[in-house]
This record gives sequence, C-alpha cells and structure tokens, in this order.
Amino acid sequence: MSIEVRNINKRFGNFTALNNISLDLPSGELTALLGPSGCGKTTLLRIIAGLEQPDGGNVLFHGKDATGSHVRERKVGFVFQHYALFRHMTVFENVAFGLRVRPRQERPSEAEIRRKVHELLELVQLDWIADRYPAQLSGGQRQRIALARALAVEPQVLLLDEPFGALDAKVRKDLRRWLRRLHDELHITSVFVTHDQEEALEVADRVVVLNKGGIEQVGTPDEVYDQPATPFVYQFLGNVNLFHSRVHDGFAKIGELEVAVDGHEDTQNAAALAYVRPHDIEIHRTPENGSTFAATVVHIHAIGPIVRLELARADATEYVEAELTRERFRELALKEGEEIFVKPRSLRVFIDPNPAVA
Amino acid sequence: MAVLRSWKSHSVLPGFGLALGFTILYLSLIVLIPLSATFIKTAELGWGEFWTAVTTPRALASYRLSFGAAAIGALLNTGFGLLTAWVLVRYTFPGKRLVDALVDLPFALPTAVAGIALTAIYAPNGWLGQWLEPLGVKVAFTPLGVVIALTFIGLPFVVRTVQPVLEDLEAEVEEAAACLGASRWQTFAQVLMPALWPALITGFALAFARAVGEYGSVIFIAGNMPLISEISPLLIITKLEQYDYAGATAIAVVMLVISFALLLLINGLQWWISRRHGKRNP
Repeated sequence: MSIEVRNINKRFGNFTALNNISLDLPSGELTALLGPSGCGKTTLLRIIAGLEQPDGGNVLFHGKDATGSHVRERKVGFVFQHYALFRHMTVFENVAFGLRVRPRQERPSEAEIRRKVHELLELVQLDWIADRYPAQLSGGQRQRIALARALAVEPQVLLLDEPFGALDAKVRKDLRRWLRRLHDELHITSVFVTHDQEEALEVADRVVVLNKGGIEQVGTPDEVYDQPATPFVYQFLGNVNLFHSRVHDGFAKIGELEVAVDGHEDTQNAAALAYVRPHDIEIHRTPENGSTFAATVVHIHAIGPIVRLELARADATEYVEAELTRERFRELALKEGEEIFVKPRSLRVFIDPNPAVA
Repeated sequence: MAVLRSWKSHSVLPGFGLALGFTILYLSLIVLIPLSATFIKTAELGWGEFWTAVTTPRALASYRLSFGAAAIGALLNTGFGLLTAWVLVRYTFPGKRLVDALVDLPFALPTAVAGIALTAIYAPNGWLGQWLEPLGVKVAFTPLGVVIALTFIGLPFVVRTVQPVLEDLEAEVEEAAACLGASRWQTFAQVLMPALWPALITGFALAFARAVGEYGSVIFIAGNMPLISEISPLLIITKLEQYDYAGATAIAVVMLVISFALLLLINGLQWWISRRHGKRNP
C-alpha cells in the first residue's frame, strides 16, 4: 500500500519539528528516513502511524485520507526502538496479542492463532523460545519478537523506529541484513527511521534525508551518495573534505586548481563550499596545470586495505583527508613531510548561503 | 561451617555478617521481644481459660468487626487508591500538587482528631449525617462508621504504592497495544493491570494491616456498643482497665496470629503473581 504525506507541519512549543513535509512512499518499497537526532524523522514516522497528530497537512494511505483515523484503524505495524514488549506475557502471548484483542466475530480460533504465531516465530527464526518471557531474551531476539508481533496483525504498512538503535554493532549488522531479506520475502511497504547512514544506504530501496524538520533529498542510496543535492547531504553521508572557495565567472578556485561550476557563469566573486570525498582524491608527484594544488603529507595511517593520508594545503590552513589503495601508495612511496599535488577526481561546488564575513 | 562459608562467599558485597547480625538484633528489640511478651503473659492462662476468654460472643463479634471492616476499608482503598494514583500520574490539572499532598494527610493527622472530625460530620445532626439520616442511613455509632474511619486512615497506602509503578510504565507499551488494535479497555485490562497487580496487593496489605491495628479514630465514631460496634483493640483496652491483663493479651495473641496468617497469605499471593508475570530470572 502506498503512503502519501502532504504538507505536514508539527510544532512542539516553539520548536518546529516538521516544516511542510511532502513525501510519496510507493507501495512495496523499503524506505529509510535518515537524519541527525532532532531532525524530525521519528515525529514523521509517528504521524504516519497515527501515534502523533500533525498540526497541519494530511497523511494518505492508498489515496485515502487517514489523518483523522485512530492508530487502531490504520493497520500499521510499529516496531519501537526499545522493543516495548509486554513483560508479563510469554513470547507466544506477545505475538498472539494482536489476534486475541480482535472483536469476537473476527477473532481467529485458538488453533488458528497457534498456527499463525508459530508461523511468525519461524519466520523470525525464534520458534524455540515461544515459552520464554521477554526479560530472558537478548536485545536482538527481543527486536525480532517485536517484529513478529507487529506482523501478526497483517499490517498494510510496517514502520520501524530506530529498530537497531539499542543493539551492539555486530548484532545490528546481522539484523539489518536479515530485515532486508525479510522485506524481499514479504514486500510490505516499510519505513524505518535511522541516524546511521551506513544502515540506511545498505538496507533501503530509497533514502529520505531529513534535516531540521525539512527534506534535503529523496533518492536511491546511489543517488544520495553519489549526487548529494545539498551540502548537508554531502556531509552527512560519509566522510568528506570541505574547501572554502570563491566562484567567479563560472569557475571555482582552490589554490592552483580551477573547476568549472555549471549555472554560475555570471556569478561574481561569491563565497562557495567545495566538497570532495577522500576516495575521490588522486595524489601526484608532479603538478598538472590548473587541475591540482600543492599539499604536504602530514600523517599516514597505513592500516587495512585502505591507506589514509592527512594532507595540509600549501596555500591555506585547511587539511585534506585522502584515501589511497595500498598499491597506489606503494607506487608513490610517500613519506611524511613530503610535498605532493592533489587532484580531486570529482568535486561538488555549492554557493555558500551564509558566507562568513571576511 | 562449610555450608556457611559456601553461601557467604556468593556475595561480592562486604559486611554481610555485620548487617544481618544488626538486623536480627534490631528486629528482636523492636518487634520480637515485645510481641513474645504477649505470648508469655497469655501463657498464664491455661488452655481452657484461654479458649473461653477468646471465644466469648463479645470477643468473636469484635474480631468480625475488626477484620471485616478492615478488609472492606482496604478493598475500597484499593479501588479508589488506584483511581487517585491514575489521576495524579496521567493528567495535569491546576492544584495537582495540592491534591498530591492531601493524600498524605491521613498519615500526619493524629487519629483521634480524624475520629472526632468524622464523628462530627456523620453524626445525625452533622453536615453529612443530617442528609443521610432521612434516607435511613446511619453512619456514626454503627459498623458503617467503623468502615469509613478505616477507609480514611488507609487511603495513602494504595496511592503511594501504585503511583511510582504507574509512573515507570512506558508509554510505548500502551502505544504498541494500540497499534496492534487493542481498545483502551483491553490495553488497561491486559497490559497495564498485570503490571500493577503486585503494587495493588502491597497497598491493600498495608492498608489492611494499618486498619486492623487502628484504634484512635475508630473509638470516636464507632459508639463502641458491645457485639455491634466494638473493635478488638477497644476490647483489649477494656480488659486492661479491668486489670484482666492475661485476658487482654489473649485477645492480642488471637489478633496477632490472624494478622500474621493473613499477611503471609497476601505475600504468598503477591509472590505467585509476580512469578507468573515473568519477573523471575531464567
């Protein structure tokens, strides 16, 4: 089932949590709402679920306005960061809860409930702990039970609020792959909230990057990583080098380096920010006219398959981080303190919206 | 010795021996020795005399009233205490802190003051009594008055035991229940109440125990008619005034034994419930 979010606004006192958000979530996709804490991602998820009411705007399920309908009627499965399992019920009863609270006419028979719960527990691979209580389970097991419980009511939409946030790194990684596989099996429209860019990029079909109550970019993981729409997205997704630069007559200058900036042919001497990822930097022994700038090697971290260099620009007090493959590093035979030339393979330039007073 | 060492070494916390020793000494001085004195004094009576003293119609009526009224009062407090705690935790309203403080007043008030105040209000010519009298409801100087007095002094117990538990319940659990399609009532009955039962039972036990031992407030409102509105503690005082010390302690012993048995039963019930609700360790 598709979800449409139309012009949602939400304020908490003086704080604007969501500022006129519109978003389409197509049927059957796994979407990540990604952003730093306080960006409004959880609030948006709770509004979609009906746990929170927006101050303005609409939520449409399959084209029908669901804004006014109660969370009970929306048929959403919600998974909480801290599991929210019923402590006094066994795993089996937790999963069965959504079936048992149905009105008498719609309630399945006891045998049917039993069959269904065991089916779900098999799906989350925890059939063998049906008789335990939540307190006796590990974090990862609890979250899988919470997921089975949410799926028991056959929701049209599955919403997950930082589902792996409370788990340790190893379990987190296993569980997110497992969630991806589960989604590929069930094809239920799913939205999950996360502040972990790696998680969003690895698991989701589509990533919605949020910041300060607004949407920065919507796209596939490749799109948001390779073509960030805003400086925020560039900085939030992965490591990035930032150069302060100026754009003049369609060109940005960084030291000796000049790059053409599309759409700014008439811009005169505007402050700009240029971004390049560490793995998009080439290191050369000799300068290339107009496409390199000089720098000194400050530090070399040669651990693992990637060699990380810390470079200091010769003409400014900015530091640059570069990542080289081991072979390239050996070819160059770099030492700390040597002068080299930096050539960014792909550089994105944004005009600085609020330049510092020079 | 080996046994001793083996369960002592289980604890990483130091001072087990000292702490336990002090606790036993303290409990002996404060609780066990005074209580055992009642048993020793009672032993002055022979078995037959004891049995006659504690099974007079007047004594039997007083047990019925004392334990019956205490149980009814504690039950009323369990229901209304839960409601009060719920209102205090879940809603914000002007004067909430004042209401919160008001709950503790029955603790602080001298019980005689409470008794006199209640009597003045519920007497046939009192503020409330004058309206109840034409309806045929007599409160002051009847067992009903005893129930009211015992309800009054037991009010804080359930509120104060349930309140912190209710505050600790995560809102997420209720949201989860709502997402799964549970109605408000189903969420309350199947998700909240199981978590509240142990606290409710503790509150009931405390209110009940307090009410069984209550004296000051009751004697003013009860009218103290033998066989009708005379509570056991008053019967004990009456016997003391007649220099019948052994007879007084005999009734005290009966009260002690019944109270102890009931509290033990309630504790057992609580243990059983919390075990059923999965607080046990694997």
